[in-house]
Amino acid sequence: MTDELTPVDIIAESAGPKEAAVAQPAANGEGEVYSPRLAGSKDIIVTEHVDKWFGDFQALDDVSLRIKEHEIVVILGPSGSGKSTYIRCLNRLEEHDAGRIVIDGIEMNEDVRAMAAIRSEVGMVFQQFNLFPHLSVLSNITLGPQKVRHMPKLEAEALAMQLLERVGIPEQADKFPSQLSGGQQQRVAIARALAMQPKIMLFDEPTSALDPEMIKEVLDVMQELAESGMTMIVVTHEMGFAREVADRLVFFDEGALVEQGTPEHFFTNPREERTKLFLSQIL
Amino acid sequence: MSELPPIPRPEQAPLPPPPGQRRIVLPPHRQRARRPWSVRAREWIRRNLFPSPGGTLLTLLSAGVMGIMLAGVIWFVFFDANWNVITANRWLLFAGSFPREEAWRLWTSIAVVMFLIGLAYGTWSSLGRRDTLFVVLTGAFVIFLMAHGGASIWSSIWFLVAIGLLYVGYYLTIWMPRETSTRRAWQQRIVGGLLALSLPIVLIVLMANGGATTRQFDGFVLNLILAPVGIVGGLVVAIPLALGRASTMRTIKWTCTAYIEIVRGAPLLGWLFVALFILTDVIGDNLIINTMVVLAVFTGAYMAEYIRGGLQALPSGQYEAAQAVGLTKLQSMQLIILPQALRISIPPIVGQAIAIWKDTTLVTIILTLRELKGNADSAIAQSEFIPDRIEAYVFVAVVFWVVAFMMSRVSQRLERAQGIGER
Ligand SMILES: Nc1ncnc2c1ncn2[C@@H]1O[C@H](COP(=O)(O)OP(=O)(O)OP(=O)(O)O)[C@@H](O)[C@H]1O
Ligand SMILES: [Mg+2]
Repeated sequence: MTDELTPVDIIAESAGPKEAAVAQPAANGEGEVYSPRLAGSKDIIVTEHVDKWFGDFQALDDVSLRIKEHEIVVILGPSGSGKSTYIRCLNRLEEHDAGRIVIDGIEMNEDVRAMAAIRSEVGMVFQQFNLFPHLSVLSNITLGPQKVRHMPKLEAEALAMQLLERVGIPEQADKFPSQLSGGQQQRVAIARALAMQPKIMLFDEPTSALDPEMIKEVLDVMQELAESGMTMIVVTHEMGFAREVADRLVFFDEGALVEQGTPEHFFTNPREERTKLFLSQIL
Repeated sequence: MSELPPIPRPEQAPLPPPPGQRRIVLPPHRQRARRPWSVRAREWIRRNLFPSPGGTLLTLLSAGVMGIMLAGVIWFVFFDANWNVITANRWLLFAGSFPREEAWRLWTSIAVVMFLIGLAYGTWSSLGRRDTLFVVLTGAFVIFLMAHGGASIWSSIWFLVAIGLLYVGYYLTIWMPRETSTRRAWQQRIVGGLLALSLPIVLIVLMANGGATTRQFDGFVLNLILAPVGIVGGLVVAIPLALGRASTMRTIKWTCTAYIEIVRGAPLLGWLFVALFILTDVIGDNLIINTMVVLAVFTGAYMAEYIRGGLQALPSGQYEAAQAVGLTKLQSMQLIILPQALRISIPPIVGQAIAIWKDTTLVTIILTLRELKGNADSAIAQSEFIPDRIEAYVFVAVVFWVVAFMMSRVSQRLERAQGIGER
């Protein structure tokens, strides 16, 4: 797929030290740079020829994508196009059937330790928040650091309060998730993911279950996160966010990666017919 | 490509005022509630009893029916019945062949349990006026029974001490500092641990150092021992069974399913026969131990199904979120899945507990173990008490009802105490 692209500011770049340790097919080399601010960044996510089947149904069809550290990628596509399946493969909530996935130099395979290592690098935010309803907001956030990272309780709580501060709801720490609005719940979910100090954050339609007046508060938090240099992959239908914050848009259809490019490319002259059709429906 | 447009900084939403600074203004209907109680009472009566001609008619009708029934009950309890069958046989009904000189062991056990119940109430709930009324009524009744039969004054004092310990435990937990969630969590952990240990503690108090043997567990004491063993043992069996049946590993899944379906396929009566005829060869000829095993095995199969229901009721997002946070399978089971699944299954589990409580009477029929109902049978087999059959059975029924009712209240409290974390 990559060779079909209109190259945008391709900057040749030498492999980072960690990158060099990973065996990679020489032919593919480095991914392309979609924004000048990413010049010099290494590829932190590498997926090559990834297939995923649900029984007879092919949900992902030969998806190859390289994502730079600090890059903000927004994934677009019609319902059922495999967007969720793709990002769920990135932290192994789904197992891919063919191809390879390398996250920050760690090859995704059957090895449980590799999986644990990947999950501690990748945070995920779900459409339905999926907070733990029987735990307070604070415990929702401290659980991961305490149980996975073995952080002392006080330290974990200090971290959690810091993160709640960052997402703007420190006063809700002692409440239970059911006592919060949807927007507040989603911000807690973001804080919970950040508490594991991940390098990469995955967002699967983080605002789709929210009332319009709460969407902005969540998008603001995500934007702040983007500015802070987090690598983010966001499935969303919020075109404003895609246009303003994304370095790159990626369009999926029927399990395949159809087109990718800068927001400018997508909103001015998309190449593929399917992309045009989709964008005309959604804009 | 040229530079992307600058990213606008997020606006900070103004923080709501910190809690505790809001002025509390009662809504109008709450303010009105401050009128004199006589006015409020009159209004309540009119609204609830005589709202309309039809409503008035229904009120009068049901009052009539209730009045007739109440009169019948009062007539029976205070004038018609001869309660001598109870007072004369109270030790037989209560503890049967439990050695009388070891009675202090029973009182100590009751005191320990009362104290723990007090701790539990203070930790997870609160003692209301109704609970106190209940304690006072039951206490008065037991003391009356003992006094009437001329029991030693010491047993009454022991019993009062036990009731007192209920309140000591309660106010102890209330009084202990627990402002922070850490302290609350620790308190819950300690009290929960003590509760879990209460059954072994009681058994030790009853049996250790020359105490009673299991064969001497008798009368109401036997019901009070068999049921908790069945319930606690059932839960211990049920949790791994439920997880096993939900497992993806075929052999484990099939084994657990087979266990559950086979055990549920036959009535408890049938399994008690197994305790009588088969377990005597396998475990030993102590029927009480065999019965305990059967009760735990039987209850476990039912409770496993209720817990599995709770597991299935959890949205898959909970499993996924636990994985995404990085918890291992064991950790997510222990910290995320089971606590929620168990909470969902509290009502049916308590239902099963009440069922097994009542079913402890079956051991009389099959195993000729003498629990409360069995000892009531022997009480009325004495020639002087033959005419007092009804009194004896009414007494037994009321005792069973009181305990079952307490269990159902505890279930409601548990649900309410846990309700705050609901989605
Ligand atoms: N567990 C599963 N079992 C079977 N089929 C599945 C499963 N999960 C997803 N699918 C199918 O795979 C396809 C892609 O699903 P996916 O959830 O990735 O789509 P999506 O692009 O995220 O759509 P949406 O915008 O509706 O969320 C869909 O056709 C869906 O029905
Ligand atoms: Mg989706």
